[in-house]
Order: sequence, then C-alpha cells, then structure tokens
Amino acid sequence: MSKNTTAARFRRVDVDEYDENKFVDEEDAGENQLGPDEAEVDSLIRQGNLNQALQAVLKNPPINTKNQNVKDRAEGLVLKVLSAFKSSDIEKGVQSLDKDAVDLLMKYIYKGFERPSENSSAVLLQWHEKALAAGGVGSIVRVLTARKTV
Amino acid sequence: MSPPQTATLRPYLNAVKATLQAALCLENFSSQVVERHNKPEVEVRSSKELLLQPVVISRNDKEKVLIEGSINSVRVSIAVKQADEIEKILCHKFMRFMMMRAENFFILRRKPVEGYDINVQTQAGGLRHPLHGGDRQGDQRDETVR
Repeated sequence: MSKNTTAARFRRVDVDEYDENKFVDEEDAGENQLGPDEAEVDSLIRQGNLNQALQAVLKNPPINTKNQNVKDRAEGLVLKVLSAFKSSDIEKGVQSLDKDAVDLLMKYIYKGFERPSENSSAVLLQWHEKALAAGGVGSIVRVLTARKTV
Repeated sequence: MSPPQTATLRPYLNAVKATLQAALCLENFSSQVVERHNKPEVEVRSSKELLLQPVVISRNDKEKVLIEGSINSVRVSIAVKQADEIEKILCHKFMRFMMMRAENFFILRRKPVEGYDINVQTQAGGLRHPLHGGDRQGDQRDETVR
C-alpha cells in the first residue's frame, strides 16, 4: 500500500475556489477616481445654476474605488444638490440629463435612501418619481443588476 | 419645515411598486450546487452572479422597505412605523401571529430579517404553481406536470 493512505490534508482543500467556472467580479483599478468636484459643484449651487450643478455632480462617479470615504462624500454632495432644487424644477432638471446620467442619478437616489436623515427621504422620493418617468423601469433594473455600486 | 407625513405616502408606495416591478423578474433556476434541487437563491446566496443589488426605499428613518432580488427569488423586508411602546408591542404580536402561520401564507418568511418587521419572499417555481406553494424540489418532474 502507498505511504499516503493516512494523509487527510487533501480533505481541507476548498475545491470550489479552484473551479474554472467560478464567478469573480472584475476588479478595476479605480483608485484615482475622486468623485465629483466639490468646489465646482458648490460654486454652481451658490450661483443658482442648479441644472449645471446637477450635471457636474453626476460626473466622475466613484464607482470603482474601494475607498468608502470617497463614496460617502460623493453621496453627500449629490444629496446637497438634490435638496437645493425646488419641487417644480425637479422635472426640468431630470430632462436636462442624458440616459446614462439618469441611470447614475437612480443609483445615487437608492444609495441616499439607505441613510435617511431629516428630510432626505421626501426629497429623494420626489426625485425618484421624476427620474422614473424619464428612465422607466429599465433604469431601476440597471441599478439592481449593476455589479459596481456608486 | 418638513412636509406633512401624508404627502410622502403616495410617492413612497409608487417607488416601492416600481422597484418591485423591476425586481420581480424571475425565472425558474435549479440549484447549481446540488442536482435536482430548486432553492431560492436569495436565501441560499450560494453564487454571487445570481444575486442582484439589495435596494432600500425609505419614507423616513423608521419606515423602509428592503428589496433583495436574485435570479429565481425575491425577498421583501418591511419595517413598519412604530411610534410608541404600545404600537411596538401590537406590531410585534401581529407580525408574530402571521409569521407563525407562514405555511398557510406561502409567501411569508418565518423570521424577519434583522432590523425589519416582516418579510415577504417569493420564488419562481412557487409563482407558477400556486397550489404547490413556494419551496419546491425535484423540478425534473415539473416539465411533464405543466
């Protein structure tokens, strides 16, 4: 008999890790993504140019970065812009966005729902309604199936 | 000043409805781990590629709905508003009453997810054959029954 009959170490090997068909998320190196430019967005809000502020804050989404602070900062900034809009202006703001921006806006809206504060949910619900009208159910499906969240 | 509570109800319900419409896109999917088994992937969580992003819709910090989807099942967790002690007790008792009879409801989960009050969970196999209920095994037999 061979010498290895009592060796049982092979039983501790996690075979599933070595399966060729195992699904691994792509790891993009997104360390340089800093999220939207705070200064630019703040100045646009102060000028009252809210549509531009919206477009600016939806640039450079921190999708690939693993740094949670960057993501939090981006989300706070987006919430600031969204709260600055008047209810009647929300629809025009959404109309000024292109399809990808509407999807990104939806992602931020759902992210904002996760941490409800004073009035944020009410504002976000209004934005959700208008963004849904613009993007349709498809924009929600794209949020659900996205592998990387904002 | 925050808007009156009732003003957020309609948008809240509409948002939940639209999100559910997006998440309730299910298909029958047998387990990839065990043959001839059909498990709700949102409970088993065996493979990352079968799960969707969990999504929260909140009306305020006390009321929210968590929707977790997957390829063949969806789990909806609801946090009900409980303003004071008596409402907490009533809610707890009522939910317990319903969850103890979860077998008869088919789509209720016996234990709520942490932080929420009640769960509704449905599976693709269960939707097709409402008489047989949710969790089903041996889907090989299915094709002839249809």
